[in-house]
Amino acid sequence: MEGVSRILRRFVAATILISIFLLIFNFTMLWVLVFTENNQSPSPEDVVKQVAQGIKKQGDNYQLNEHTAELLQKNNAWTMLIGEDGRVQWGYHLPNDVPQSYSLVEVAKLSRYYLMEYPVYTWEHQDGLIVVGYPKKSHWKYQFDYLSEWVGSLPLRLILLLISNVVLALLISIMIGTRLIRKVRPLVDGVHNLAKEEVVQLDSKGIFGDLAMSINSTSTMLQHKTDALKLRDEARSNWIAGISHDIRTPLSLVLGYASDMEENSDLPEEQRHQAGIIRRQGEKLRSLVSDLNLVSMLEYEMQPLHLKNIRLSVLARQVATDFFNSGIDERYSIDLKLGAEAAQIMGDEKLLFRAINNLIQNSMHHNSEGCEIILETTLSKEGSKYRFIVTDNGLGIPQEQLKDITELPYSPKRKGTIKQGHGLGLPMVARITKAHNGRLILESGVDQSGLKVIMEFPVNQQSVEN
Amino acid sequence: MENLKDKKILIVDDEPEIRKMIEGFLRKDGFFRIYSATDCSSALSICQTEKPDIAILDVMLPDDDGFSLLSSIRQFSEMPVLFLSARGEDEDRLLGLGLGADDYIVKPFLPRELVLRLTAILKRVYSSPISEKLSVFPLGEQTINLESAVVYKNQKELPLTAKEHAILVKLYENQGRIVTSDALCQAVWGDDSYGYENTLMVHIRRVREKIETDPSKPIYLLTVRGLGYKLLVKETK
Repeated sequence: MEGVSRILRRFVAATILISIFLLIFNFTMLWVLVFTENNQSPSPEDVVKQVAQGIKKQGDNYQLNEHTAELLQKNNAWTMLIGEDGRVQWGYHLPNDVPQSYSLVEVAKLSRYYLMEYPVYTWEHQDGLIVVGYPKKSHWKYQFDYLSEWVGSLPLRLILLLISNVVLALLISIMIGTRLIRKVRPLVDGVHNLAKEEVVQLDSKGIFGDLAMSINSTSTMLQHKTDALKLRDEARSNWIAGISHDIRTPLSLVLGYASDMEENSDLPEEQRHQAGIIRRQGEKLRSLVSDLNLVSMLEYEMQPLHLKNIRLSVLARQVATDFFNSGIDERYSIDLKLGAEAAQIMGDEKLLFRAINNLIQNSMHHNSEGCEIILETTLSKEGSKYRFIVTDNGLGIPQEQLKDITELPYSPKRKGTIKQGHGLGLPMVARITKAHNGRLILESGVDQSGLKVIMEFPVNQQSVEN
Repeated sequence: MENLKDKKILIVDDEPEIRKMIEGFLRKDGFFRIYSATDCSSALSICQTEKPDIAILDVMLPDDDGFSLLSSIRQFSEMPVLFLSARGEDEDRLLGLGLGADDYIVKPFLPRELVLRLTAILKRVYSSPISEKLSVFPLGEQTINLESAVVYKNQKELPLTAKEHAILVKLYENQGRIVTSDALCQAVWGDDSYGYENTLMVHIRRVREKIETDPSKPIYLLTVRGLGYKLLVKETK
């Protein structure tokens, strides 16, 4: 849901930004378009001022200078000078319906509003009052008056206006946003579930219907593919299990009679020796069959793991002891360097036992001249990984072969051939390690001699504390 | 012991060659009352008429599997059963043993192993209880009686404590073989026995004081450094 709320936050922020921008834009446009049109140049106040300055007394009469006269003509305006006594002293294009004398009240009225419906503007002059009149209905005149308190609080009011705008924008955007999110949320959940390979079945109505349908069909397709893949893996694994089952019965007979002949004292020594060879090869075949079965089960993740807390040091001692008890050849020696006895991992005892056993067998197989084998257990520095290390000082494996030695023999990924054994040993160890969420590291020893195999497992943290 | 060879044995396997081979080995070993069946129904009828003393069952049979055959047998008989299966999976093994089978052998097997395991079951089930008792064995000049947990040394009776006794029993069961200290601790203190290694060393020393002629130079109870201990019983020379 992280993603959805992030979308909502972004959406709201964007909306607020846009509305603030719109507000500023509108104010600017208002100023530019409305007020500049209104303030035609020159304004009536300007005109009347220029008239007052441009008028010249010549004897008893007054004369307008050329520029001012032109200005008046352009605006179809007229002008007059009202003297101190209230009589018109002088006029220019004065209409006929304009009176020739004015009382104090009439002057007060015309200075504010209209004179005979002419919008008029006044300016003071040394000889009286200059009045400029514009054609009827050409201007609207209003008087504005404000309380000083109102003017003082104007900035605050503007800020309030802005804030209420922002709040309104916020509310609207959240409302629209949540409505949209409500529609989007199932889709987002659906895509998330797709990633987890869960079955997704969305309602395909509404504005995102086609998108929901696409997600649904993707889910179905994925499901089909996973099923098919699982079926194929199962078939492969079952096939190997079936083969190994079918091999067991004839092998029982081979092993049975061969070992019977081997122990039969009536037979000549040579025949008994040959029977012994048959028996030993039969046993090899037996271990190959069961290894093959296990590897294929691990490969297709069908091997059930019986997990429990295991101390690898105990296992190391057990494996070594088994080798000693069954009589280890003089050419080989096994040494133990066990640390971190208390650390435990979650593991399948039998499988791990088999892995360690395989590694020792592997070292012996590849070094028929003999070698020293060292089993080592260590805890990584930060204490989260537990390592089981098997080292030998034998011939080792060339660097270029180390990479693909854990691949199954005869797989196209594996180059080179297998010298001894059936070659399932290391691949099996790799798969057992993987099944335990571990890591298998193969290293060549110093001077390209010897082999170091590290199995690294995650530590079961609870075990370290006590 | 001789009467063990008189026991009636039933072999159930759909593979005639296997039946023939097992029968041959058993006869060679001295058994002579051997019956064989190829499927569940004939096996059941033999069980009812002949009342065999032990059965060797294959898991995969033409009409049903060996597990359900065992369930049917269990309805009227408690005879021991040994499974012989071509399927080695752990689940099958646990299922078979869980149903009350006495042992489970995976094909292919060595005939000697089958005969030994079969005899072991017969011994456990039919022999007189005397042989079940723990052994009394000589160790040099000393005699150790595990049954009564006593060591006879220099005409004296040295009693063994419970822990010392458990250690000796475990070592005696694996005589001549190394037993890891972990296995010994587990035998004495149970499953969660980590951290008892030093205590084990103390107990081992006390055992040596009782069974060794010279406890500082042990010749019977040997330490295998880094691994565990080993009891040598046949050191009589």
